[in-house]
Amino acid sequence: MRTKIINYAVAFLVLLVLNFILPRLMPGDPLSAIYGEEVLVQMSPELKANLIGRFALDKPLWEQFTSYISSLAKGDLGYSYYQNAAVSEIILAHLPWTLLLMGLAIIFSSVVGIIMGIESGWKRGKLMDKTCLTGMMTLSGFPSFFLGMMLLLFFAVTLRFLPLQGARTAYGNLTGGWIVLDVLKHLILPLTSLTLAEIPANYLLTRNTMIINAREPFILTAKAKGLPDSKVRYRHAGRNSLLPVVTRIGIKLGIIVTGALFVEIIFSYPGVGNLIYTSLLMRDYPVLQGSLIMVTAFVLLVNLGVDLIYKKLDPRT
Amino acid sequence: MRKNKVVLSIFLVFLTIFLVSALLKTDISYGKTEAITYTIADATGDWGYPSPYTHYPRGPGYVRMSFIFDTLLWKDETGFIPLLAQKWHYEEKENAYIFSLQKGVSWHDGREFTAKDVIFTFNYIKKHPTWMVDSSIVEEAVEIDPYTVKIYLKELYAPFLNNVACTLPILPQHIWQEVEYPRGFQKDEALVGTGPYRLCDYNRAQGTYLYQSSPNYYLGKLKVERIKFIKVSEQMASAALKRGEVNASSVPPEAVKDLKRWGLQILTCLGSWNAKLMINHTKEPLSSRKFRQALAFAINREEIVKITQRGYATVGSTGLIPPSQEYWYNPNIEQYSYSPAKAQAILESLGYHRKNGYYWKNGEKLRLELLTSPQFAGFIRLAELVSQQLEKAGIAVSMRILDSKSLDVRVGSWKFDLAVSGHGALSGDPFILNKVILGKDFISARYDKNELLNKLLSDQLHQMDREKRKEMMYKIQKIYAQELPALTLYYPTWYWAHDGSSNLYYTQDGIAFGIPIPLNKLCFLE
Amino acid sequence: MHIRYWEKLEKDPFGKTGLILVIFFAMLAAVVPLVTQNPTTQTSFIFKPPSITHPLGTNDVGQDIWSRLVWGARTSFLVGLGVGVLSTLLATLLGASAALIGGWYEGVVMRTVDVLLVIPTVILVILIAAFITPSIWLLIVVISLFRWQGAARIIRAQTLSLRKSMHISAAKSFGASTSYILFKHIIPDLGPILVVSFIYSCRMAIFLEASLAFIGIGDPSVISWGKMMRHALNFYYLDVWKWWLLPTGVALSAFILSFTLLSYCLEKAMDPRLDESNV
Repeated sequence: MRTKIINYAVAFLVLLVLNFILPRLMPGDPLSAIYGEEVLVQMSPELKANLIGRFALDKPLWEQFTSYISSLAKGDLGYSYYQNAAVSEIILAHLPWTLLLMGLAIIFSSVVGIIMGIESGWKRGKLMDKTCLTGMMTLSGFPSFFLGMMLLLFFAVTLRFLPLQGARTAYGNLTGGWIVLDVLKHLILPLTSLTLAEIPANYLLTRNTMIINAREPFILTAKAKGLPDSKVRYRHAGRNSLLPVVTRIGIKLGIIVTGALFVEIIFSYPGVGNLIYTSLLMRDYPVLQGSLIMVTAFVLLVNLGVDLIYKKLDPRT
Repeated sequence: MRKNKVVLSIFLVFLTIFLVSALLKTDISYGKTEAITYTIADATGDWGYPSPYTHYPRGPGYVRMSFIFDTLLWKDETGFIPLLAQKWHYEEKENAYIFSLQKGVSWHDGREFTAKDVIFTFNYIKKHPTWMVDSSIVEEAVEIDPYTVKIYLKELYAPFLNNVACTLPILPQHIWQEVEYPRGFQKDEALVGTGPYRLCDYNRAQGTYLYQSSPNYYLGKLKVERIKFIKVSEQMASAALKRGEVNASSVPPEAVKDLKRWGLQILTCLGSWNAKLMINHTKEPLSSRKFRQALAFAINREEIVKITQRGYATVGSTGLIPPSQEYWYNPNIEQYSYSPAKAQAILESLGYHRKNGYYWKNGEKLRLELLTSPQFAGFIRLAELVSQQLEKAGIAVSMRILDSKSLDVRVGSWKFDLAVSGHGALSGDPFILNKVILGKDFISARYDKNELLNKLLSDQLHQMDREKRKEMMYKIQKIYAQELPALTLYYPTWYWAHDGSSNLYYTQDGIAFGIPIPLNKLCFLE
Repeated sequence: MHIRYWEKLEKDPFGKTGLILVIFFAMLAAVVPLVTQNPTTQTSFIFKPPSITHPLGTNDVGQDIWSRLVWGARTSFLVGLGVGVLSTLLATLLGASAALIGGWYEGVVMRTVDVLLVIPTVILVILIAAFITPSIWLLIVVISLFRWQGAARIIRAQTLSLRKSMHISAAKSFGASTSYILFKHIIPDLGPILVVSFIYSCRMAIFLEASLAFIGIGDPSVISWGKMMRHALNFYYLDVWKWWLLPTGVALSAFILSFTLLSYCLEKAMDPRLDESNV
């Protein structure tokens, strides 16, 4: 367990070092690499001095690195010149939307995937299984952004009543329950794209584990005891099939974050993914780097959490 | 059965949301408010906190600030009109402008607006220049009486009214006199102005703005009580306009026909921005004027408009100023219409001969490097087409795609042959020519080899007589077209659509110094 | 473990479909010059619907969509195979050698694996690409650098167990060197795992390349399905998506799917518990 924590810490450190080095590898001084010539030209001398102090650019490399780490520890992710605000502020404004989208997607895709996987694995070889399997296989080929695009087209061209972008209706004068409904309405298309893209992987993994478990002796015992089919399926076989999926959630988080990035772009959903995209377009490096760090930190933390839960779930370790 | 129940319930939840939203539609969500609200869609959304020091240094950022802050003068479809200054005239002998200010104007916090605020603003910007105003030409601002100011200029300066009087937002002295670091000043007080609207809400992440009309606006009653800016991509904008969710928006050209059929009004903006071919005239063979002219003959600008802009653009004029600038545009200059034969004639006279489709001289094939970056949409395709055309004409082209920062650095340090770039501000005062011909930054041609051109450019800024200035502009365009330090390829046409509930228009010479956006705050007056 | 690949693939309907699809795309990518016109020539025939000269119509600058589609297949193939080969190579060398050499070296390698495994690849590539515009080759290298870890772990585990097996011990007692054992015994025995990991890497690489191209990261001089989809999305409100966006997306999905099917089938072959024919 301790090694795992060290691993995560090292991984994070690697990212930080990369973040630190890249602008300094570029030709020219780091300030222009970070902010660009065009912006530097317009900057007032006070602001420039302020930024140089902030990044400790007039000090030797090692001191720059330590000041970089210490400001990160204080939660200072830098300053965006374009948006004239602290990077952490900007990211925190976008973060909740992504969490909402991803959280719901993980829950829905896990639940649906697991249940269908259990059923399919149990009835392996029968028509239901074969159909589900084929369907899921086909679905697995579609990248989440293509699914999103198809949904967008369908609802833009044919059925026109769902909002095609944004997280909520701006200044709609909505109150209480209406706000929730409005948010949900805007969530439907991006959530569906992301969920559909994730279900096949859960399904396949559960189904595979289920198939393996179905032959285990303890299942035979349960059946011999006369337990109803569904109980055997869920209480016994199912629960054991949960383990790989739960473990996989940690690894899968990276994939879901990626998926969310693209879905947010297509539906102009104001989450961190969209922020990464726009800051990439504008080469707003502080925001870009800050968001990438935050996303990675989040993934690592969740992984850590999953590892802790795993210890509880699996009595063998 | 438990499995079925769970799946079923999930399905039902989705179904419910689906149905409810279908029933909900969009009417209810916009609320039934009494106020007349005007909704404008914008693809970028966030243009910064709308104070004079914190809005993003681009046109749309300025416009959002202009709703809150008034300037001395303003413009409508016809030209200059009074705003905070009721009357104005120019004292030729003293090279000073005298502005008689409106009386009975209050700041949004109730304090009275007087000449002191104007004097303060002119002094404050000397220490803290705002983005869009270059006030270095101002010698001194003097208060004649509480409602009259006299602005002395250092030199004769033709664009003063347009670039300073129409653009400089007047700041309240009682608030800004304490502010040491204006760019960090983002409190509510930073948005106290004399303009027709106040800011109710600004959400950076969502890219939305909400304005509320200011009661007792000195120019009259406002028809529109609330203005909303929401973030909608251009592609979605036409759908939003048709659904009535949005009153006005810029729209992609292909959508215009359909929108017209739906009864929406279309505004067209012709020559405000240009895509340019930058030429490195410090380096052989591009340092030869004739060679540059041959390039112009070899590039088919009409085809460029037809293909990359799908017809929605005007062919670039070699004099830089677009034909839509009816007053300043010189129609009698050499346009180098596409003629590969003429290009060939020139190149041969320069010592090149054609072999196997390409030009050779002294045993070397003629090859140029064309740089571009993905910064502006479609630039890569533009560069590809230009390469295609030049190759067809016999000039080999290596195209390189760099990120915009590297491109700027290379162009800035003259390490290039050709580059595709672009800039705007062409629909305002022609002072912009000085910036883009003689100016030092990388969007400028940085060409000062023609003495006559340099003199004309510097003189035109000081020529207060409009007719005489026009003569100079004609000559400037003629010489520029002969020298061709850079070649304007096209001016894209931009479209706005609106439902007619407010009479939007394109301001003559653009808003303030020349912003080509049809959101003049005066449109919302009764 | 010796698996008769062809037999397994032939028998399984998924495997068969996957194989057919891969071969189809491979042939398409191979005969590119024969079936396409110049994909970059811009003409004034804009947004033209499918016709004989343009089987999939033209895009917003008059380029032939079918040609671009096929050239895009070539790009995807290149990236897929490139990353597949490079990452499998790295995984094998590092994973197997770690198991064989052990000690301090193994510790370092496996620690690196654990660390890199946990950072989302996309994030790293976006970060790097934001500063350096990658050429297609650089992209392949960068993606491979972050893709070999998963396979390396499995390979190391497998090598460890193989190490103790009879024929290896025999070879060792005859004085075989580490590299001899590595190349003559371990790697052939690892065959199935290598094949599966190769296919898996291909699939991830194709998906990554298209996704990155979609957000604008990639070699700008190369035709990519992701970039095509992004351009097509800008005009979704016109009819043109039917022959521009749709075929490209379907092609991408089909291509990814083919690798998924192949790996599913082969995974089944490797794990007898999953094989239906063994019930």
